[in-house]
Amino acid sequence: RFSRCDALIYTMVLNDCVSAPDKPRLTSCRSPEKETFTCWWEPGDDGGLPTTYALYYRLENSETVYECPDYRTAGENSCFFNKNDTSLWINYNITVVATNALGKNISDPVEVDVAYIVQPNTPENVTAVVVDDQGPFVRVSWEKPRTADTRSGWITLLYQLRVKQEKDKEWEEYDAGMQKYYNVFSLHPDKEFMVQVRCKPDHGFWSEWTQPTYVKMPDYIPRERSLWIIITIFSIFIILILTWTLNVKRNSVKLCLLPPVPGPKIKGFDKQLLKSGKSEEVFSSLVIQGFPPTIGYDDLLVEYLEVYDNEEQELVLDSKDLSEVCMKSKSLSDCDSGRGSCDSRTLLLEKCMEGREGSGSDQHQYSQHGETSCTSTESSECQGLEPGSPESSDGRVKTWPVVFSSPQPHHHYQVEAVKPVYHSVPEILNRSSPHAMPTNYHQLHHQDIPQQEGRFSKPACRHSQSYNQFNLDGLDTPAPGVSPSRSLEYVEVQRVNPENMLLLRPLSDPNREPEGSDYAGEDYSKVKEVTSNNILLLQRDTYHQCVDDYSQDLDSQAGQCTTQQPPHPCKPVIYQSNSGMPQEGMRVMGNGYVDSTVLMPSY
Amino acid sequence: MSRSLKQVAVLLVALLCLDLHSRVGSAPICAHGPSGCHVPSLADLFDRVIQHSARMHSLSNDLHSEFEQYFLPSKNHIGKIYRKCHTSSILTPNGKENAQKLAREELTEVILKLLMAWRDPLFQLHQSMAHQQDFNSFSSNKALEMGDMAHELRKGVEKVAERMRVLGMLGNSVTGLSVAEAMLPISDSGEAMSNYELLYCFRRDSNKVQNYLKILKCRIVPEHDC
Repeated sequence: RFSRCDALIYTMVLNDCVSAPDKPRLTSCRSPEKETFTCWWEPGDDGGLPTTYALYYRLENSETVYECPDYRTAGENSCFFNKNDTSLWINYNITVVATNALGKNISDPVEVDVAYIVQPNTPENVTAVVVDDQGPFVRVSWEKPRTADTRSGWITLLYQLRVKQEKDKEWEEYDAGMQKYYNVFSLHPDKEFMVQVRCKPDHGFWSEWTQPTYVKMPDYIPRERSLWIIITIFSIFIILILTWTLNVKRNSVKLCLLPPVPGPKIKGFDKQLLKSGKSEEVFSSLVIQGFPPTIGYDDLLVEYLEVYDNEEQELVLDSKDLSEVCMKSKSLSDCDSGRGSCDSRTLLLEKCMEGREGSGSDQHQYSQHGETSCTSTESSECQGLEPGSPESSDGRVKTWPVVFSSPQPHHHYQVEAVKPVYHSVPEILNRSSPHAMPTNYHQLHHQDIPQQEGRFSKPACRHSQSYNQFNLDGLDTPAPGVSPSRSLEYVEVQRVNPENMLLLRPLSDPNREPEGSDYAGEDYSKVKEVTSNNILLLQRDTYHQCVDDYSQDLDSQAGQCTTQQPPHPCKPVIYQSNSGMPQEGMRVMGNGYVDSTVLMPSY
Repeated sequence: MSRSLKQVAVLLVALLCLDLHSRVGSAPICAHGPSGCHVPSLADLFDRVIQHSARMHSLSNDLHSEFEQYFLPSKNHIGKIYRKCHTSSILTPNGKENAQKLAREELTEVILKLLMAWRDPLFQLHQSMAHQQDFNSFSSNKALEMGDMAHELRKGVEKVAERMRVLGMLGNSVTGLSVAEAMLPISDSGEAMSNYELLYCFRRDSNKVQNYLKILKCRIVPEHDC
């Protein structure tokens, strides 16, 4: 203040410096309805003296100065122009003059065109109502500001509203256009919201926001919960479908996830040698002399090999199946593993096949039979598969289907086309050389040994079956006598010889030599023969080997069994029925076994 | 090769045929009475002209703002004395009551006069804006568009007047509409007006037109939005 005193008069009365007023300033002019308008100014420093303010205006292109008609209506430091004094589309040149005892000051002029300074009042009667139709929403409605005349079209108002919760920072704004209501969706349940509305003329300024209107959303959780229930059910359904699909495809999934582990590559192991069948040479390179220690070897022995066959084995397998099974087992089983037990029937099969492959010739013949399954004790049954075995000159090989295992009844059957479904010891006999059979057999018998892989000792091969020869024509060819009578029985592993051969001996007779035993299990039926109609003839009493007395008359129902030591006559338990049988189903044998081998297709 | 060419040709022909047939047909709006085509109602006509005038006014507003922003330093022109707009000779109501006091015919006449008076000046405006280097093409395009809009609007209002006369809303007191005169944008002092002045004047006049049309509409067809 004192700095202003230099040009001023120091009054004794007020004991202070006084001066002329500062320049006032016009802050804004506004028209709420385009019919009247108000201008406000800001007074400057009054200079210490009572100051009066006056507003003067001049219309466009006219020099006539008018003074503000109304200083009161609009409040302090304002000038209100009523309807009579308001002209649109004309520039007003407005100035404010501040006057006090010492002087006056004029503000800067302001040009105003009333048409462009329209700012309406706030909308009125804002109501927000919860409507519960298809999901609760809020319907906000309001009325136009009282002063705005939209009815005559003089003013066009556009509305806007905004919504938020008390605690939110940001407002959600919505444009309502010219309508006077709005539906607000997607508001959270069980929360309170505040709503505000404002409006604007088509060319002009936005009004102020209305006072907030509060609305509380109802709680509609149950509806949300049902949605969650639906989602849960749907996802469970999908999971079930996925599980079922996985289950169906589990094999391929397993194959994918757990690929078959290849066998170990043993150093020094020559695969080619193995394939050629010279197994002993193959293994000899691996064998370390003196290891394993043979002392106390017996302790390591398995007491006996116990073989049983369960019902499943009795199933007649299609030769195709068999080959499949064998192929599978071939791939899955590990030739290098020590598994030699013939409970894995297929293992022997593959070995047989491998042995076969070595031979190379007539492989197809054997493949017809599929693989012969290994039987139990007859681990050395592979002998039947030897390459040296008689082969049919005409390509047809007869095999002896053996559903082997000790309890299994023997059955012979005659095949015309050879396609045994299931045999443990394949015996491939050639019809053309029936007589050679016994000798062949013997030969086989002995020949087996070198050709085996050495897992099983040949001599232990017991075949309780008598040989049957298959007379393709079913006639006349004298059946070769079964050479050594063979019986199904348990064998005991005697020892393992250095060549990794299991020497077996029959359990029943420890002193027995492997050869020539005709001991047979007591309770099992043996198949005597299979007739041309694929009927199995069973022997009731298998105590003694039923040496084949293959009557050439194969139609005979009662096969006669001639045993070498025939204390008991053989009693065929199956009676052949006439043709039409072959593809019949299972036959119940007399001793209670059901033999399903008759299901073998006859080829 | 020739086979594929043939196929392509067939395909093209098919497409062309399809295109021809699937042309969107627009229903013509009949100017002279109903003869099987869709005739818009008076309310529709009013809505259209009002929308048109709103667009025209917003264009003029934009151009004026650009001018003020880029070419004139001060917002509030201190002591600036505008020359009169060339349309100031046309008597226009300057308030709501005055506008409501006018009869429909007079109001319509005022509108048409205004629009007619701006036909040539807008063309000149566009010409001068296009030639000057100061303006980018966008602004001069706006000016051109503005001129076209004014022309269209005038035609529209004439149609509305025609419809009203047909419907008997316009009394016979006025023997037809007096021919609106084309005016030259010459101010009192005889000088041509500058672009800025033209824009300023046109902005105001387009606002007038819009307001008058709204009043007319709500007086004649008050159902919608009034």
